[in-house]
Amino acid sequence: MNASQSIMPELERAPGDERYYLNMGPQHPSMHGVLRLLLTMRGERIIKCEPIIGYAHRAHEKMAENRAYIQFLPNTSRVDYLSGMIYNIGYCQAIEKMCGIEVPERAVVVRVIVNELNRIQSHLLWFGTFLLDLGGITPFLYCFDDREEILSILDRVTGSRLTYSYGRFGGLTRDIDETFTEQSTAFIARLRSRFPMYTALVHDNIIFMERCKGVGVMTPEVCAQYGVTGPCLRASGVGYDVRRAEPYGGYERYDFEIPTRTAGDCLARFEVRMDEMEQSCRIIEQALADLPDGDVRPKKLVKKLKPPVGEHYFAVEAARGHFGMYILSDGSDTPAKIKLRTPSFSNLAAMERVLEGTMVADTIATTGSIDIVLPEIDR
Amino acid sequence: MTGTSAPPNLRGLVSESAGGDYGATGFHQRHTAEPGHIVEIAKRFRESGYVLEMMTCEDRREDLDAMRLVYTFNRAVADRHVVFVTLPFGGEAPSITGEFPSGDWFEREVFDMYGVRFGGHPNLKRILLPDDADFHALLKDFGRIEDAEGGGE
Repeated sequence: MNASQSIMPELERAPGDERYYLNMGPQHPSMHGVLRLLLTMRGERIIKCEPIIGYAHRAHEKMAENRAYIQFLPNTSRVDYLSGMIYNIGYCQAIEKMCGIEVPERAVVVRVIVNELNRIQSHLLWFGTFLLDLGGITPFLYCFDDREEILSILDRVTGSRLTYSYGRFGGLTRDIDETFTEQSTAFIARLRSRFPMYTALVHDNIIFMERCKGVGVMTPEVCAQYGVTGPCLRASGVGYDVRRAEPYGGYERYDFEIPTRTAGDCLARFEVRMDEMEQSCRIIEQALADLPDGDVRPKKLVKKLKPPVGEHYFAVEAARGHFGMYILSDGSDTPAKIKLRTPSFSNLAAMERVLEGTMVADTIATTGSIDIVLPEIDR
Repeated sequence: MTGTSAPPNLRGLVSESAGGDYGATGFHQRHTAEPGHIVEIAKRFRESGYVLEMMTCEDRREDLDAMRLVYTFNRAVADRHVVFVTLPFGGEAPSITGEFPSGDWFEREVFDMYGVRFGGHPNLKRILLPDDADFHALLKDFGRIEDAEGGGE
């Protein structure tokens, strides 16, 4: 077959050229979701990495242009099913800001609590699957044991385990009760009692150290070039967090730290996420201690919501980083455009730079450590 | 991403600048520019320590008779600048991949969904839709996705 007949000309190579190509995914057992990495290899070293995405594209942005603002609400938690609550409530907050809708004080605080529970849940799942990628099966079972508690707590209040539609423009669907408060408090105590075990089981493990330390280093410069955000950026020494940079939804009231590390490797990303779980616990405690009374439901139900004409941008800190919504309103009850700026999309884009020159065996550790969720990337 | 650097001087590059009314819209500053100036604008933002936060496109053929590109730049201490670039349908804009590698995937997505081409892009091909698709899905005349009757997620 000569070059002009080749169906994949980019894979042609000259005689004597020792490069070869390796497709990792979209059906690889330790590749997350349906990500495909087209690796150009020499020996065991990666010369070039091209992430190929789009296998889970569901046209959420097209759907948004086809329906009223409120009808897009169930879509939001399906964009990133692991931090669905943050997306769902983030969308409500964006619309509230556009239309100037007031939210009852109690709903503001409850939103913070469920958001942080959702963040812990997402980090726990990442923790388990990351260790699974590295070959450790035991931590996964412990993490899912913990995570199941959060899913049950949220399921009882919201009616769903993952794809929440708990937010409404101007409030929430249902109020929390005493049992929720008790369960959340008990869960925080339980999680805190588990942290020493996680440290002993995982962080102090020599095999884990060897697989993570100095692997997949992201410098602050690479992060800036590719727009990397979230725990990956904070592990590279930049303390950027939307909750602090552009406080929204009452986050400015709570005392919490932005954990950072400077190494930028897989280990730093691990440590940042573990610290973030503790900070989320702190936020939940403060919020529960200072829970106002009152109703959480919207004060007034707007049947035909028509936001003012113009462009709007609203960002929240999702479990994986900066989630932004660019919403264009033409004054009708249907969005003219909604662009979802998802954190994993930018975080994954940096992989072509980060994986270049590394060993193929480190690919799984590196892609695992950035915590990508493919449905969020493909939308 | 650095903290509190001064915003770049965009004199001569943007035709219109205005405060963005951050409280209501989420933008600190709004700018309108010609397609030919976007690379220089991106360069100045990069040199001032800003990152390309997001880039997208709008199909505005109905009201503006054009396509409109939207770039937002931001830094660690929030100062969000949005730059609107209008270009005719079927037109081409220069790629900012040279200034921000993150522009690579954003531009590929805009090409994929709207058919806007970017001059100088190293690898302009589809990213989310299949390679052999013959449509650009977010164009307003592509059609609608109707609710599936009885269909689930």
